[in-house]
Amino acid sequence: MIKITNLEKYYRTEEVETVALNKLSFEIKEGEFVAIMGPSGCGKSTLLNIVGLLDDADGGSFMFNGIEVAGFNERKRADLRKHNIGFVFQSFNLIDELTVFENVELPLIYTGVKAADRKTRVEEVLDKMQIMHRRNHYPQQLSGGQQQRVAVARAVVNKPKLILADEPTGNLDSSNGNEVMQLLTDLNEQGTTIIMVTHSEHDAKYSHRIIRMLDGQTVTENILV
Amino acid sequence: MLKTYFKITLRNLWRNKLYSFINIAGLAMGIAAFILILQYVSFEKSVNGFHENIATTYRLLNEDPKGQTWPQVEPGWAQKAKDRFPEIQAYCRFEEGVGQGIVRRNAENAEPFRETNVGYAEGNFFEFFSFNVLEGSAAAFKKPNVVFLSTATAKKYFGKAEPVGQSLTLYNQFGKANYTVSGVYDIPVNSDIRYDMVFSLETLSNPANLNDNDWAQLDNLSSQYIHTYFRINETADYKKLEQKLTTLRNELKKDKDGLVFRLQPFANVHLPASFSDTYQTSGNLKYVYILSIIAILILAIAWFNYINLSTANALKRANEVGVRKVVGASRGSLVLQFLGESMLVNLISFGLALLIVRLLQPLFNTIIEKELTFTSLLSTPAWVAGLVLLIIGSLLSGAYTAYSLSGFNPVETLKGKLVKTTKAVVLRKSLVVFQFSISIGLLLATAFIYRQLNYMQNKNLGVNTDQLLVIRGPQVDKDSTYKMRRTAFINAIAQQSFVKDYSLSGSVPGNGYNFATSGFSQPGSRKGDELKSFSFALIDDRYLNTYQIGLAAGRTFTQAETMVDWNDNDKVLMNEKAIEELGFKSPEEALNTKVQWDERKLQVIGVVKNYHHIGLQKAIDPIIFYPQSNSAYFTVRLQTDRIQDNVAQLETMFKSYFRNNPFEYFFANDNFNKQYISEQQYSKLFTTASVWAIIIACLGLFGLATYTVEARTKEIGVRKVLGANVLTIARLLSKDFLQLVFIAFVIAVPVVWYAMYRWLENFAYKVQLSWWVFAAAGIVAIGIALLTISFQAIKAAIANPVKSLRTQ
Repeated sequence: MIKITNLEKYYRTEEVETVALNKLSFEIKEGEFVAIMGPSGCGKSTLLNIVGLLDDADGGSFMFNGIEVAGFNERKRADLRKHNIGFVFQSFNLIDELTVFENVELPLIYTGVKAADRKTRVEEVLDKMQIMHRRNHYPQQLSGGQQQRVAVARAVVNKPKLILADEPTGNLDSSNGNEVMQLLTDLNEQGTTIIMVTHSEHDAKYSHRIIRMLDGQTVTENILV
Repeated sequence: MLKTYFKITLRNLWRNKLYSFINIAGLAMGIAAFILILQYVSFEKSVNGFHENIATTYRLLNEDPKGQTWPQVEPGWAQKAKDRFPEIQAYCRFEEGVGQGIVRRNAENAEPFRETNVGYAEGNFFEFFSFNVLEGSAAAFKKPNVVFLSTATAKKYFGKAEPVGQSLTLYNQFGKANYTVSGVYDIPVNSDIRYDMVFSLETLSNPANLNDNDWAQLDNLSSQYIHTYFRINETADYKKLEQKLTTLRNELKKDKDGLVFRLQPFANVHLPASFSDTYQTSGNLKYVYILSIIAILILAIAWFNYINLSTANALKRANEVGVRKVVGASRGSLVLQFLGESMLVNLISFGLALLIVRLLQPLFNTIIEKELTFTSLLSTPAWVAGLVLLIIGSLLSGAYTAYSLSGFNPVETLKGKLVKTTKAVVLRKSLVVFQFSISIGLLLATAFIYRQLNYMQNKNLGVNTDQLLVIRGPQVDKDSTYKMRRTAFINAIAQQSFVKDYSLSGSVPGNGYNFATSGFSQPGSRKGDELKSFSFALIDDRYLNTYQIGLAAGRTFTQAETMVDWNDNDKVLMNEKAIEELGFKSPEEALNTKVQWDERKLQVIGVVKNYHHIGLQKAIDPIIFYPQSNSAYFTVRLQTDRIQDNVAQLETMFKSYFRNNPFEYFFANDNFNKQYISEQQYSKLFTTASVWAIIIACLGLFGLATYTVEARTKEIGVRKVLGANVLTIARLLSKDFLQLVFIAFVIAVPVVWYAMYRWLENFAYKVQLSWWVFAAAGIVAIGIALLTISFQAIKAAIANPVKSLRTQ
C-alpha cells in the first residue's frame, strides 16, 4: 500500500538546515498495523505528515496504492487524502464550534455525501464508538476519552483505507487510552491499515510491527506478529 | 455545507463576542454613514429629474467675458428668439425675488404674511414644467391677476376652506394688487423651482400694474431679472442655437455689454456634468464629492477593521483550518467558507446600519439641511452603485481574510505553532496607519473649519452688531398718511427708555446692499475708473451712530439732508475702500471733493472707516452711502436685558402705526452670522464625520490591542517573572501602536495642509494654518489612541504572571 524509498525532508530557517528525514525507506502492506517509535525530533511526525499527504517531501519516492504521489500539488493531495486517509491526533483537534455530530459529519460533507446518507453514516459510527448519547454536545463538554472517541469516529466515518494516529493516547489516562487502542485494533481487524506514532511501548504492542527511528532514519524493525 | 458554514459562523460570532461586537458595530457605523450620504448624493442627482421634457429643455444664461454666468436675463429675448428660430418650440419665464412682498387674505382681520419665496411666472408654467396641479386647471394660469398656491401655502391662508376662487392681496414693489386663487399645486421635494405661491406674469404685461417700474416691462432688453427656459426640437443642436442667440443679442442690443448667451441643459441646472462645467448651478458638486469621499473613507476604515481583526483572530481559527484541511477541505471550500462568513457579518451589519440610519436621519438632515428619507435613496440608480460598492467591499475585505486563513499549513497549525507571517503584520500596520491618517485628517480639517468659522464670527467687523434689533419696514398701506405714521412711530421709539439709539436704512450689514453701479470718477481719476463697480447703501443721519461705525474724516449726514429728494441730493459718504478705488491718497484728500456719477456731481462730505457690511468670505467692498430716510429697516439698539419685553412693546407700537403689516424682526448679529451657514454646515459635517471615523478606528484599535495582548500573554508573563513592572509592560504594549498613529499623523499633516490651504482661499479674511493646531490635533489623536490601548495594556500588565504562563 505504501512504499517509501529514499525519502528526504529538510527544515530550513535563515541560519540552519535541519534534516528531518534522511533517505528513509520502508514499505507498509494493506491491512498492517504499524507503530513508529523513536525519541523526540527523530522525524516521526514529519513522516506521518508526509504519509498523510499533509506535507510534501523534498526528495525520494512515495508510492501510495501504486501511484507516485511525491510530486502531487496541494489540491491533488487533498483529494486523495479525503477519500483514503483518516487522522487521529494526540490533542483530538475537534472543532470547538461544532457538535459531536457535526464534527464527525465534516469529512462526509467534504467528500460530497448527501445529507440523508450522512445522517445514517454518522449515527452508525457514533453508535459504534458508543457516544451516540453525546451527539449534540460540544467538544468542551466531553471528557478526554470521549473526545478521542469522537476523533476516531471522525477518522473512520469516510471508511478510509488508512488511519494515521499521532500519539492517540498521549492526552488520555490509561483506561481511556486502552479503550482507544482497542478501537484501533478493531478497525484494523476489519481491514483498515493503521500507522501509529507513539512513545508508549505499551501501545506499540497492539501493532504488528514497530519501526524505530533515529535522526530521520529507520534503525530497526521489530515484527511482533 | 452552507448550513454548517452558517452555523459555525454564528457560533464563532457568539463565542468571540468582543471581536464580533467590534466588527459588526464598526461595519454598521461605516455602512450607516455610507447610506446616509448616499441618500444625499442620490437626492442631489434626482433633482429636477421628474420633469418629463428635461432632455429637450434648456436654461438661458448670460455670460460675461470673465466666464461668469447667471440665469437672470432680460425678459424680451424669449419671444424674439422664438419668433426668429423655429427650433424653439416653447419658452417659459419666471422670476425669483422681484415679486417678494406681503400677502394678505381679503377678509376681515386676516393676518398678513411676508412672502419671500414667491414670484411671477409665465402662463404656461404648469404645462411647461411637470408640476402636479391638484386643484384648478393648469390653463387657468394664463390669465392676469391669477395666483396658484402650494398645498402648504393654501392651508396657511385658508385652512380647511376651499382655496380656489378666493382672493389674496399682494403688496410689493409693483404696488397693491388683487389676485384670484385659481389653482393649488404640489412641487416634489427634489425640484429646484419651488414657489410657495406663484403669480401670473401676464399681470405685469399691463403697464398700469407696474407702478412706474418700467424696468420690469416684459418686452424689455435691458434689465436682467427673469429666468428663461426654452424647449427645443429633439433634433436641434443647442450649441448652434446658443450662437444664434448671441448673434441676435448683438444685433438688437444697442449698448454693447460684451455678454454672450449660453444654453444650459436643464439636467445640468442643479449639478453640473463635471467640474469643467462652470455654469451657475443651484447644487454644489464639490459638496457632493466631498461627502462621497468621506462616506467611502469611513466605510474603508470599517472594512479595514474587519480585515485587521479577522487576520489577527487567525490564531484562534488556525486550528479549525487545520482540522478541516485534514478531513478533506480544499482551499477553495475554505475560501468560500470565510467569504461566506464575511458576507454574513456584513449582512448583519447592514441590517444594524439600517436601524442606525433610521435613528440618525433627523440629525443628519439637520447637518445637511435637507429633508431626506430612506426613499430619497431609491430615487435614482445611485443606490445600485452604492449596493455594488458595498458588495464589492465586503467581498474584498472577506477575500483577503479568506485567502490568508485558508493558506495555513495544517501541519503547523495543528501543532499549535504561532501563525504569524510578516506580510500579514505589515498589512495590518499599514491599514491602521491608513485608518488613523483619515481620522486625524478629518479631525484636523474640523479644527481649521471650526477656527475659521469662529474667526469670522468673532472678528471685529468695524460695526457693533450686539443688542441691535432690526425691524423690517412696512409695505402695506403706504398711502398719504404713511409718512406721518412713520414719523410718529420713530418718535415713539425714541421715547422708550430701553432704546439707546435707532436708525432707518435701506440696507443693513449682513443683508447685502441696495444695489451696485458703476460710472464714477473724480477730477484726478484715471481712465477706466468709471467702469469700477461701487455698492450703494441708503442710510439716514443716525445710521453710523446706531451701528457704531467710525468716520475717518468729515461728518455724517444731517437729518435735513436725508429728506432731500433722490435726484436733488448732491452729498454722499464713501468708505475708505471706495476713495481708494477712486484714486484718492487719503480721506482728507477725498473730503469735499466733487465726484462725478454719470451726469451728476456728488460731494464727499465724509469718509467712513472700512467695516464689514457682508460676510468675511469677501473683501470689503467700496461703498457709497446715499442719504435717504428709507424705511426698509428700522434698527434699534437696546440697552436692557429684558429683550423679550422690549420686543413685545415694539410690536405693539409697530402694529398700532402699521396695521395690516406683519411685525418681523431679527438681531443684527444673528443675521450677520447667517452668511456663514455654509461654513457652519461644513463644520458640523466634518465634526460628525471625524467623530464617527475616530470611533470606528478606535474600535478597531481596541480589538487589535486585545489580540496583541492575548498573543503576547506568555511574553508578558515571562517578563513579569523576570521583574518587569506594570509601567514597563504597558509601555511595551502601547509603543507599537502609538508609532503607527504617529506615522498616520505625519501622513495626514501635508494632505490636510494642502486641502485647508485651498479651502481658505475662499475667504478674504482667514485664519493661519498654525503649526500648533496640527500639533494639538496630533496630541489629541495620540491621546485617544493611548486611552484605547492602555485599557488592554494595563489589564495585561497587572495580570498574575502565574496565570498567564499557565494558559500557554
